Amino acid sequence: MTTPATLINNPQTSTKKRRKWQSYALFFILPAFILYTLFVIVPTVGSIYYSFTSWDGISPDIRFIGLANFVEIWNSPRVHNALKNTMIMTISLVLLENVVAILLALLVDKVRWLSKLFRSIFYFPTLLSGIVMGFVWAMLLNYNFGVINQMLNKIGLGALAVDWLGDPRYAMLAIVLSTVWKGAGYYMIIYLAGLQGIPQELNEAASIDGANGWQQFRHITFPLLAGSVTVCMVLAMIGALKIFDQIAVMTDGGPGFETETLTYLIYKVGFGELRQGFGTALAIVLFLIIMIITVIQVKFLQKREVEL
Amino acid sequence: MFRKPWIKLSAIVLAASITLTACGGGNSGGNTVDKSAPGNNGGAVQEETKKEVSFTIGYASGDPAGKKAISDVITKFMEENPNIKIKDLSETTSSAYLDWLKTKDAVGEFPDLVEMRDTELFANAGKIVELPTDLRDLFSTLPEVDGKVYNAPLTMTSPWGIIYSKKAYEEAGVTELPKNWDEFIAIQEKLKGNGISPLVVGGKDIFHMGFWVNKFLIDQIYVKDPDWNSKRTAKEVSFTDPNVVQAVTDYKELFQNYVDKGWLSTGDNQTASFLVTGKAAQLYSGPWMFTQIAEADPNFEFGFYAVPDREGKVNVVGLPTAGGWSLSTEASKDQDKTEAIKEFIRYFYKAENYTKYLETTNGIPSTKENIKYNATEQMQTVLDIMADANVTKSLAINNWWGKNLIPPQFRNWYYKQLQELVVKDGDVLEYMKQADKEYDNQVKANSM
Repeated sequence: MTTPATLINNPQTSTKKRRKWQSYALFFILPAFILYTLFVIVPTVGSIYYSFTSWDGISPDIRFIGLANFVEIWNSPRVHNALKNTMIMTISLVLLENVVAILLALLVDKVRWLSKLFRSIFYFPTLLSGIVMGFVWAMLLNYNFGVINQMLNKIGLGALAVDWLGDPRYAMLAIVLSTVWKGAGYYMIIYLAGLQGIPQELNEAASIDGANGWQQFRHITFPLLAGSVTVCMVLAMIGALKIFDQIAVMTDGGPGFETETLTYLIYKVGFGELRQGFGTALAIVLFLIIMIITVIQVKFLQKREVEL
Repeated sequence: MFRKPWIKLSAIVLAASITLTACGGGNSGGNTVDKSAPGNNGGAVQEETKKEVSFTIGYASGDPAGKKAISDVITKFMEENPNIKIKDLSETTSSAYLDWLKTKDAVGEFPDLVEMRDTELFANAGKIVELPTDLRDLFSTLPEVDGKVYNAPLTMTSPWGIIYSKKAYEEAGVTELPKNWDEFIAIQEKLKGNGISPLVVGGKDIFHMGFWVNKFLIDQIYVKDPDWNSKRTAKEVSFTDPNVVQAVTDYKELFQNYVDKGWLSTGDNQTASFLVTGKAAQLYSGPWMFTQIAEADPNFEFGFYAVPDREGKVNVVGLPTAGGWSLSTEASKDQDKTEAIKEFIRYFYKAENYTKYLETTNGIPSTKENIKYNATEQMQTVLDIMADANVTKSLAINNWWGKNLIPPQFRNWYYKQLQELVVKDGDVLEYMKQADKEYDNQVKANSM
């Protein structure tokens, strides 16, 4: 069947005809392009301008203040604290989400009995929105009325019942673990696809040669999952750097400023503290951080893929 | 020849329709005014006068009783005025009301009629207009900002104090209410010794922190120096001054010793259930909580008193504040909408409706018309406190206006910092140095 795509890609199609079809294609791209320009490109470019202003977000008075916002970001202990929290959360989430996802994928891949059911169960939390998940976990972890503390009290472990979201020692941990619970299933699917693409003969041959389960995983399965690892690590990293919903619902960045990350700080200063200019400058800094880390991470992981 | 223009035309039409479909859609926002002509049937003149109008409304909904009271008036008003539709934008969120309002503004949904608590801020931003002059006669006192009246006050400012369980006091052997701060602390010791959490605090909601924090700030600072905020802005005083350090030290000690352990996970709307279920003996809040408590357990016996300072003086929040219903600038540009809003405001303050609102929220009336309702025992104490000339009336750190207005973003930052001070057992002086730095930064940022 002749389609516009085959016509355009066919070398035998005349240049004139190809151009004609390309012009039709452009018309179809136009709506998406207009919307993307209006809602993504224009605000993005606009935000660069606002980052050099002291705009409060509601006043028509927009004053240009040069690099003052960026200087303040450099000197602000609150930004440093948010950056530290973001990094702790990102490293924890990237590692934990991927480790748990690989374990779940191995489990689902190996266990034939009810494997579809397990796959659905592990994947289900990813279908919940971050807000809903946050509310559910906030209720579960509530110090006074939460199921977790009530269970601990019932089984005689009342001493372990702590204020999970109000104690600075546990608040970050609670957010990380609940996010892993939500996100691991998604990465599990990617790893599962990777696992199912590994030829069984390799493991069988290794098994005949006397390799045990760990050795097979270490030398065959994991290296051949390198492509999936790259994708999952990058996605998990970007997701962790942008984490917002859970923090907004579960801790509001607290106790104090203990779980305030860069994205949450951007929201707080931009909307809560009437400093859109400063918030936008922070957003640009976060964008640069994500871009730099992603480039480094992809380069490193792709190099590793080649080596493996 | 036929195919070429046909395909091209199809592509253009499809592209345009997809774009317009996305951009269009029903305007479900509340900012629309239906100016459609009345029906073709008879009585056209009467229909003309009843033009269909709609407007949006937004108010603080942290207190469920208050939310319900306003919501009931809205419903009743719409039943009696079928041509006026009010879209209630209020929603219970984890955000502070100011955050919610600014977010609504940012997404283009600033309410046409809005409960304003940061009047100067929004007036300076040109978001609200002055209260229509023909409504001003309704009120006994109208707060002014820079000589202008922006608000129809919902109620007069109510004092905050201790709401206590009579049973818990009795069981702990507390027979007399405290006459000074030391006696108050002695009561906390008795309650603690009796195995009950002395105080519940809804620290999950950042505004709730203000009750206790401002109790100490008023006792130590504002009673003696109502212009402290303006002096702080001018760097003539500091958060590291002994009186502020004393206030924050008192706060820290109280929270570390007598507040229920899970206070940072407890929302303001959970505090009533703590009292009635006996998980805590006291709550420091305002009279709007009386209804919530009575609804949680009608048989629960409780009392109310203002906490005295070290010298035995009673100082409470009680000065008029610039707050209440305000008309948005956008709405004021539409004559029909303005008239509908004015009609609603008059309806809200009608004795039959306003009485119900006051009864539910235990508010102090702001109208000239003498509104009377059956004050409960606790509410009578509130009214007595407000009528007592020996009780000093003051305001919370963020409710001062004019030259004493603090940077609007400072309040939440300060309360959060004070939460951290408690949970990290921080050094008060160090934290107050940070407060000085942050305050100056915010003043500087706002002046840029």
